[in-house]
Amino acid sequence: MQILKAIKSGALRAVITWKGVLIIWFSLLLLISLLVIPMKGALRSGLGNSMITEKLADGINIEVFAELGQVFSSLISFFASGFLLVLLAGFLLNVFFAGGLFGTLRGASGKFLSSEFFKASARNFWSFMVISLILSLIIMTLLFIIVGIPLGIVSQSQTASEGSMQTAVKITGLIFLLLLPILLLVADYSRAWQVSADHPACFKAIGYGFSRTFKTFLTSYPLMIIVLLIQILFGWFVLTVIPGLRPASGIGVFLLFLLTQLLFFIKILLRAWRYGSVTALMEQNPKRL
Amino acid sequence: MKKKNIFLIVCLFSANILYSQIINKEPLSARLTGYKIDVTLNPETTIVKGDMDAFWVNSSTDIVPDIRLHLYMNAFRSSKTTFYTESGGSPGRRESDPGWIEINSFTDKEGLDLTPGMKFISPDDDNPDDQTVLQVFLPKPANPGDTVFVKINFETKLPSNIRRTGYNDDFFFVAQWFPKFGVYEPAGMRYATVGGWNCHQFHAHSEFYSNHSVYDVSITLPEEYVVGSGGLLISETEIGEGKKTLVYRAEDIVDFAWTAWPGYAVFKDSWEHVDITLLIPGDRTEQVERQFIAVKHALEYLTENVGPYPWPHLTFVDPPAKGSGAGGMEYTTLFTSMSFYRMPEWIHIPEMVTIHEFGHAYFMGILASNEFEEPWLDEGINSFWEERIVDHYYGRNSGLIDHPLIKIADASYSRITYVTSPEKQIVSNNEYAWDYPLGTYSMMSYMKATTWLFTLMGIVGEETTNEIFRQYYKKWAFKHPCGRDFINVVNEVVTEIHGDRFGPDMNWFFNQTLYGTGICDYRVAGFQNRKLETTDEAVENTKSGDNISTDTLPEYRSVAQFERRGELMFPVDILIHFDNGDEILESWDGKSRYYELEYTGNRKIDWVKIDPEFRIRMDVNYINNSMTVDPDRLPIRRLTNKFISFIQFFIIIISL
Repeated sequence: MQILKAIKSGALRAVITWKGVLIIWFSLLLLISLLVIPMKGALRSGLGNSMITEKLADGINIEVFAELGQVFSSLISFFASGFLLVLLAGFLLNVFFAGGLFGTLRGASGKFLSSEFFKASARNFWSFMVISLILSLIIMTLLFIIVGIPLGIVSQSQTASEGSMQTAVKITGLIFLLLLPILLLVADYSRAWQVSADHPACFKAIGYGFSRTFKTFLTSYPLMIIVLLIQILFGWFVLTVIPGLRPASGIGVFLLFLLTQLLFFIKILLRAWRYGSVTALMEQNPKRL
Repeated sequence: MKKKNIFLIVCLFSANILYSQIINKEPLSARLTGYKIDVTLNPETTIVKGDMDAFWVNSSTDIVPDIRLHLYMNAFRSSKTTFYTESGGSPGRRESDPGWIEINSFTDKEGLDLTPGMKFISPDDDNPDDQTVLQVFLPKPANPGDTVFVKINFETKLPSNIRRTGYNDDFFFVAQWFPKFGVYEPAGMRYATVGGWNCHQFHAHSEFYSNHSVYDVSITLPEEYVVGSGGLLISETEIGEGKKTLVYRAEDIVDFAWTAWPGYAVFKDSWEHVDITLLIPGDRTEQVERQFIAVKHALEYLTENVGPYPWPHLTFVDPPAKGSGAGGMEYTTLFTSMSFYRMPEWIHIPEMVTIHEFGHAYFMGILASNEFEEPWLDEGINSFWEERIVDHYYGRNSGLIDHPLIKIADASYSRITYVTSPEKQIVSNNEYAWDYPLGTYSMMSYMKATTWLFTLMGIVGEETTNEIFRQYYKKWAFKHPCGRDFINVVNEVVTEIHGDRFGPDMNWFFNQTLYGTGICDYRVAGFQNRKLETTDEAVENTKSGDNISTDTLPEYRSVAQFERRGELMFPVDILIHFDNGDEILESWDGKSRYYELEYTGNRKIDWVKIDPEFRIRMDVNYINNSMTVDPDRLPIRRLTNKFISFIQFFIIIISL
């Protein structure tokens, strides 16, 4: 009951912050366009007035890209460096806007003020950055220990069968996936506490995150599992539908753009829902704060 | 004396076995060499040890004073061998257990010790540290028609770092493992002007050349090992102490290799007269069906378009990960493929490897050209057929990869490798394998040759190409043709089918592609549609010979311009599309540097394509082969949209 209440409250809070989600969507689109639009221009210029693009009608055709020769090499190096920069900038943007989201999701006042959103983003940026970096580091270490080391041992083994490698991937992957929600809960509780505490401190927030996660494990963990399962289902839907779409007209391509952006907007909204649900669960038991 | 008589009887008996028919009703080849080998594998020491009775028939009119044998395994003896020197002076990154072959005794049929007449020679590079070719002077020169019998006791230490041959843990792939005769080429055979042995050293970038032989091979090893070989299993006997002896017979093949590993699962299937055996790791059995389907596709396609597969048996091996260095290699009636546990169905790489390696049974096995000197005759031609087969059965545009997101045709791979290679012009396609400059062997002998074979097919047509190969097979099966023989067949078939449409012969094609270093690049330089302003101008332009209505004066004068940027000259088609939907297909001999087509009428050129069917696959740039007033930007926009989405989702997923 407590879980459903938190999920419902989280959904409502997420809907209320739709303008914040819109800001995040637009900022990321703008950022990515800085990388992709010049690449698109270079590709168009490389192909000129050629009709070779007919070969792209069925999707990616490596022969067409190979024809580009030096242009393609330049595109690849441009993409390689640009992609890393965009990833870094995207990570920073997410850290920044997470502060705004957690700030506006708090209390469920029913109003969204852009000024408050940006104010909360700015106020919480450094602490959220520390929390994100530490939790990301923990997740990567866990991935290395749980998945990397066993797979390394199995792959070096002369006696292990090929099937055992697959089994090891499945088992270690499953263990990691079961542990991941715990760390996400820690991250979310830490940030929810950070924006609501009278005397916020990022390391104290992480401590609180761990403590809160394990003290309320029986309610928090199922909540996170439910939210993540819905997000995974959504991701599966996107991966299934989008690659197969090949509109053959200009309007079709525009509609595809709108559809993909709508789906991305929903994806951010689902993220906000997760933040909102965890915040709501935390607020349901304030004495445990 | 008595001993000598007994030995003579044994030798004659052995020769009789080697000449006898067990598999094929009639010999397929001249069988100038034969081997009876009896060995034991010791998995602990990784040594194969035993005796070999072998013969060589002097079928020439020469008096031959010596014999030459390949001792390939000595390539792995030290880092100073030619093999390792050419591959960077090291047996590999991992610490390696060396490989070698030792001759313990070497006698003639009368038991006469021939070891004093033995010496290692390095005919290719004079490397004193290379012991891969053994010359043995005979006590009496071999006269025309003589058969030289030898009896050798040898032991072969298998190397640990598998490069086609060797061991890893309990996995063994035993290839290039016994003393093997070179090929004696009398004057007139291939390029030989005087008779002599063709027996090259083992090089890093080279394969092999051998006579078609008969093999009777007996292998003793621990019982738990599952064995596969290029021979037909004659008997399997348990000999006690946990060991067994397997006896194999192979006829008219150029090499005998075998593998042993306790983890193999054995599957059997058949296609027409061919019994097919597959050895595959026990936990990779989900790959079995696709492997059998692939090999049957290859059998069917090559039988129909080249010639029959003459042996009633075929074994192929999908080695385990620890034996992957043995994967993707051919030994005529035995070959190795390469798949992985749970390899997705949309990746057709296992099928590609299987079809490729099986195809060698034709070009390395049946035709048996000299892979040392003309690697393109095997690898190039075989890759050409592999790509045709894979794309025929698995999708014209998706033979190799068939996924909703990306599709790759097998035929694309070789062309892309060739056209994107910065070294494609530094050497001709007709070099000895080890003479290709560093890093160009594969590109030249596989990719360039495949690309110009597709170009040849684009020019003369698919059915003519098939007929060329049918005749090549018919005329040269089991006779070791050289490149010149292939070209002669091309010339005969093309002139027979097309007359002098392509000239008196096709030498112009081979001079440019096989023997030349130029590139091909045709380009649409541009096109213009000029409105004819005055009636006089319009009337004047009706004389251009263009097909216009007599009661309508032309409104436009259109000119399309073309350029030959590369050195290579091929006949090409040009397709002109007009704004009223009309299309005209023109032919250009492709020789001049600049070419122009002119039209007058009430229509404007909309777009122009050189080689619209992409027949000239040697053209290094297809982008400039077409030009339009209204390029289709949709695919780029679509790709860009998906790319944006991909990055968006990726960023949000990696953020907490």
